[in-house]
Amino acid sequence: MAGRRARIFFRSRIVALSLILTCCSAEVSYSDPPKSSQLSEELDFFETKIRPVLAKHCYECHSESSSELQGGLRVDTREGLRIGGDSGPAVVPGNAAQSLLLSAIRFQGLEMPPEAKLEDAAIANIQRWIETGATDPRDGAATLPASALNLQKSKGFWSFQPIQVPALPRVRNRSWPTSPIDYFILAKLESSGLEPAPPADKSELVRRVYFDLHGLPPTPDQVRSFVMDESPDANERLIDELLASPRYGERWGQHWLDVLRFAETEGFEYDRTIQGAWRFRDYVIRSFNDGKPIDAFITEQLAGDEMDFNQPKGMVAAGFHRLGAVRRNAGNQEVAGSRNEVLTERTDIIGSAIMGLTIGCARCHNHKFDPISQTDYYRLQAFFATSHDVDIPMVPESEKVAWEKQTTAVQTQIDNLKSQLATQSAIEQTLTRKKMDKLEKELPPSLPSISTVQNQLGKETPIHVLRRGEFALPGKRVAEGIPLVFSQFDEPAEIDRAKPRTALAKWLTSPRHPLTSRVFVNRIWLNHFGQGIVATPNDFGLNGKLPSHPELMDYLADFFMRNGWQAKSLHRLILLSSTYRQSSQPRSRDVGHSFDPDNALLWHYPLRRLSAEEIRDSMLVVSGQINFANGGPSVILPVDKQLVAQLYKPSQWEVTPEIGERMRRSVYLFAKRNLRLPFMEVFDQPTSQTSCFRRQQSTHAPQALELLNGPMANQMAEALAERLRHEAGSDVTRQIDFAFEWILGRLPTESERRFAKSFLENGSTREFSLALFNLNAFLYVR
Amino acid sequence: MNQTCFGRRQMLGDSFCGFGSLALAAMLRQETLAETKSSLGPKPPHLSAKAKSVIFLFMAGGPSHLETFDPKPLLNALNGEVRPTEFGDAKYQFVQKDARLLGTKRQFQPHGQSGIEVSDLFPNVSNVIDDIAVIRSCYGDMVVHSAAQYELLSGRVMPGFPSMGAWTIYGLGSESQSLPAYVVMPDPEGALEAGQPMYGNGFLPAAYQPTMFRPGERPVLNLELPPGVSLNERRRTMDLIRNLNEASLTSQDLEFAARLESYELAFKMQTEAPDVFDVSRESEETLRLYGVGTEPTDDYGRRCLLARRMVEHGVRFTVVVSGGGSGNTQWDAHGDIEENHCRMAAETDKPIAGLLTDLKRRGLLDTTLVVWGGEFGRSPEAQGGKGRDHHNLGFSMWMAGGGIRGGQVVGSTDAIGLRAIESPYHFRDIHTTILNQLGLDQDLLTYPHLGRNERLTQLRGKVIHQIV
Repeated sequence: MAGRRARIFFRSRIVALSLILTCCSAEVSYSDPPKSSQLSEELDFFETKIRPVLAKHCYECHSESSSELQGGLRVDTREGLRIGGDSGPAVVPGNAAQSLLLSAIRFQGLEMPPEAKLEDAAIANIQRWIETGATDPRDGAATLPASALNLQKSKGFWSFQPIQVPALPRVRNRSWPTSPIDYFILAKLESSGLEPAPPADKSELVRRVYFDLHGLPPTPDQVRSFVMDESPDANERLIDELLASPRYGERWGQHWLDVLRFAETEGFEYDRTIQGAWRFRDYVIRSFNDGKPIDAFITEQLAGDEMDFNQPKGMVAAGFHRLGAVRRNAGNQEVAGSRNEVLTERTDIIGSAIMGLTIGCARCHNHKFDPISQTDYYRLQAFFATSHDVDIPMVPESEKVAWEKQTTAVQTQIDNLKSQLATQSAIEQTLTRKKMDKLEKELPPSLPSISTVQNQLGKETPIHVLRRGEFALPGKRVAEGIPLVFSQFDEPAEIDRAKPRTALAKWLTSPRHPLTSRVFVNRIWLNHFGQGIVATPNDFGLNGKLPSHPELMDYLADFFMRNGWQAKSLHRLILLSSTYRQSSQPRSRDVGHSFDPDNALLWHYPLRRLSAEEIRDSMLVVSGQINFANGGPSVILPVDKQLVAQLYKPSQWEVTPEIGERMRRSVYLFAKRNLRLPFMEVFDQPTSQTSCFRRQQSTHAPQALELLNGPMANQMAEALAERLRHEAGSDVTRQIDFAFEWILGRLPTESERRFAKSFLENGSTREFSLALFNLNAFLYVR
Repeated sequence: MNQTCFGRRQMLGDSFCGFGSLALAAMLRQETLAETKSSLGPKPPHLSAKAKSVIFLFMAGGPSHLETFDPKPLLNALNGEVRPTEFGDAKYQFVQKDARLLGTKRQFQPHGQSGIEVSDLFPNVSNVIDDIAVIRSCYGDMVVHSAAQYELLSGRVMPGFPSMGAWTIYGLGSESQSLPAYVVMPDPEGALEAGQPMYGNGFLPAAYQPTMFRPGERPVLNLELPPGVSLNERRRTMDLIRNLNEASLTSQDLEFAARLESYELAFKMQTEAPDVFDVSRESEETLRLYGVGTEPTDDYGRRCLLARRMVEHGVRFTVVVSGGGSGNTQWDAHGDIEENHCRMAAETDKPIAGLLTDLKRRGLLDTTLVVWGGEFGRSPEAQGGKGRDHHNLGFSMWMAGGGIRGGQVVGSTDAIGLRAIESPYHFRDIHTTILNQLGLDQDLLTYPHLGRNERLTQLRGKVIHQIV
């Protein structure tokens, strides 16, 4: 990659560097204040009566120091006032009537400053100043060189620096590290006066590794075989075995789907189903299982349709661009405005998911913290200007034609009825609607298809910089390009107009890109340790959190890329470290708490509550009901009918009839934006409206009600009770041991066995099973 | 902090099913080491609070201001004409530029000491108008239901952001020991365009999600024991859970304190909440006051009465929705404004007046903010002859109680009710005012999300000082 092809593809770095230098030197020239000895009477008037007022009341929003220049107007330079901002010249020397500044401070039209009108004397002074020629000694540009300013500000910020390969730090306790990771962790612990927790015992560790890699509990046999395996490479073999299982992709695919705010419907009013979105879900799961290099994985999602024209695989991957919510509703659609909303979604997710930058903030104004200008934002958006939605039917042509014919016939009738509605009385309308509902049911079901995007060069959407991000206020038109701050690295030289997203992907996955690998590595770390090295995984910018271990971050990013962007090699590195194998019980909680209450330095393994999916999947496993089938269309579970009644069209919730299918893993459940399963919702399943980089872990009473009284928990308890009777017979002790081994991954202690026995003397096995589902030891991984 | 700890300790110690064991007591003594992670403990407001609870009477579909609280004689005079150009332009959902203005058939009369004009759609609400501050100059950004409903409820025109109810309980926690903190009572007629996400907790933790009430006597999911399980049996199960949790408890498992607490509250909800939901023990007179037992007010009356009972039991935020299902069973009067609004008003007028009267006589109105309104108003132009289209540029909402100075009108629309011209108030100003009454500061009530500290109001809103 870094060889000949790269040289052709990327523009020379020197050109870009000289550009920055030019901007910097330009900034120095206009900072010298005029010398007071030169001040004439007019200058004196300006300095004493005008400048202080402007500085006090206007500079906050209209000067070089504004975090966000309002209305494109600078009032801290002469040219700024005379050329003016978006509304035109603010000061016309000698002409008070034409000076917008004056009418604004008089609250005629604009009302400035917005907090309160200036005092009359100040207004009169400004009027006199303008009428007498508006003497103004302040040199400087009329507009703000925003990107140069921000570039300057961010110079040296860690995440925009090239990835460095750090040396392993020195540590005192030489016997603890078993992996390069451990040196970085231990060095920080030692310098903070902390020490790592003792190693976790093997039964604790095996449960942890299964949940981490599969999101499922180990079976008693799996626990036993690991605990009894005394060979030195037992740990390594366990990890390899788990990484080779299809359960791995189901767990780690879900993490990525969270980041992409994956759902199978569009949300908003119609909440239409995105046909074949499940194919994208399967593609993600398969990619993790196959050990697809992550740079290729990202490239396929961004540009699969361009790479692999008309091949289903690439088209499915490019379904990535269809995952955001889409507003569709009754009435006049503002077609162009809706297109803008779609493009916004598509641009913003590149920032949060792949670059770990809150690029979306620059939609309405230059980024307040990061070196991303509004122009940068729209240049990035322009990569999507020719991408349009397409749904590709996955049936033979003849079937497609028949389907279209049938659909058109019914749809025409519906449209006819619809057009009559406007002139009808309420009763007539009700009748018409009834007829329409009936007809809608006659529409043939959607064809199996792939929802994706394709470039349509003839239908390019012109991309403008939008004032305040408002579609109705287009500014200058821009072509695709990368944010200026990255010009210090490689950037695409020529973009093939037929394949703009391929160029974008190539740039993002360049080994010299400072963010993509760091951001991805951080996501993997986060899902092993509960928090990232950067605690704000979607924001590596100036407002994000600084890395707790910056050298480790770079070490891992470098390791990751050197190992062919293999997620699995990174898992292996992490899971084999002493850091990961620490117990969740620290040596001294008091000491740790006083230095590092959030455990950012990892002085023990963090306790973690299972996610909603893990809780449900685990209950399915231990009750013996789980159906481990892979992939395919999503499963819809029955829910309270009142919830279905609250859908725009209750027919959108068609429950999967086969009971066995309802026992599939949670990643295969239908992800509908406007109806989430109460069980999943209560345990913090994300809304899939915006990118979710980490699951919340809240604790509240409805969770207890769900696990005690909810239908899901009770059905599972019933099934487990049945299984206990079936597999352990009527011997209560055997039942208890069997249940503990499956649910908690260990045998009960003496006191636990006593409590359980005394309960079962006259309590039901079903309630016993339910109780175990409510235990901390089941719901948490330590 | 001390107050909170004491409250919880005492609660655990006194607890019905005995979570307050020695081991737990020992554990709680170590609280100086680690804060409980419970998300819903009561929290002090930022400012001095006037209201403790909010009831939002959500008139879904968009009630007409022109038929309710905003009399426009000129509109009647211009009936059948094209809108004079001096009123400016407007973009509607369906109505086109050639549409004709539509006068109203409703009669407006001044009412109460304040003499505020209210239409004859609301004879009962008119009687309590002196408690109400009518805001005639509301506006929003969107003219279609889904996006406008998101904006009304969550301050954004798209889903995924926390609703005002979620923000409220995030800011103030819960004062209820037996009920959820934030309750939504949808109209049994069916769905709304924005769906459930409009009420949701968005990116806030799940602890701040609403509890959606179902119609009937068992409004909350999972409050009843599963079939065939007796309360005694369940009590033993709870004991087993406690014993087993404690058996594996080490002194360092402080994280689990919040979980114990959540089971405690769950059990209380289970045993105490059904009584709160049972309105049959209210007096005949009270039931009549809300119109319970007579049509067409029975359903909305029951829900308003339930809302009062929620407030009495410390529920922070209650949404009582009027309107659901197809447009005409909402306030969405595209076809026939008269038919639709007469029906919708008849269902809600008495219950709403009953609610205000009842809150007041029980001394609850002072601390309960009642807000009335929909996602927009309706067009001065006719749609299809007798209907009105959506209209977001100027419409009415009202507030009462919770420190609001009633008996006054704020702001105004132009002479045909097209546009808010005097003191226009955006939804974010309504939100800011609600937060203000609750003692919450929009700038302090924030949550980090995707790189910035989000707040309910996005752009800063202003408090409607005239009424607070």
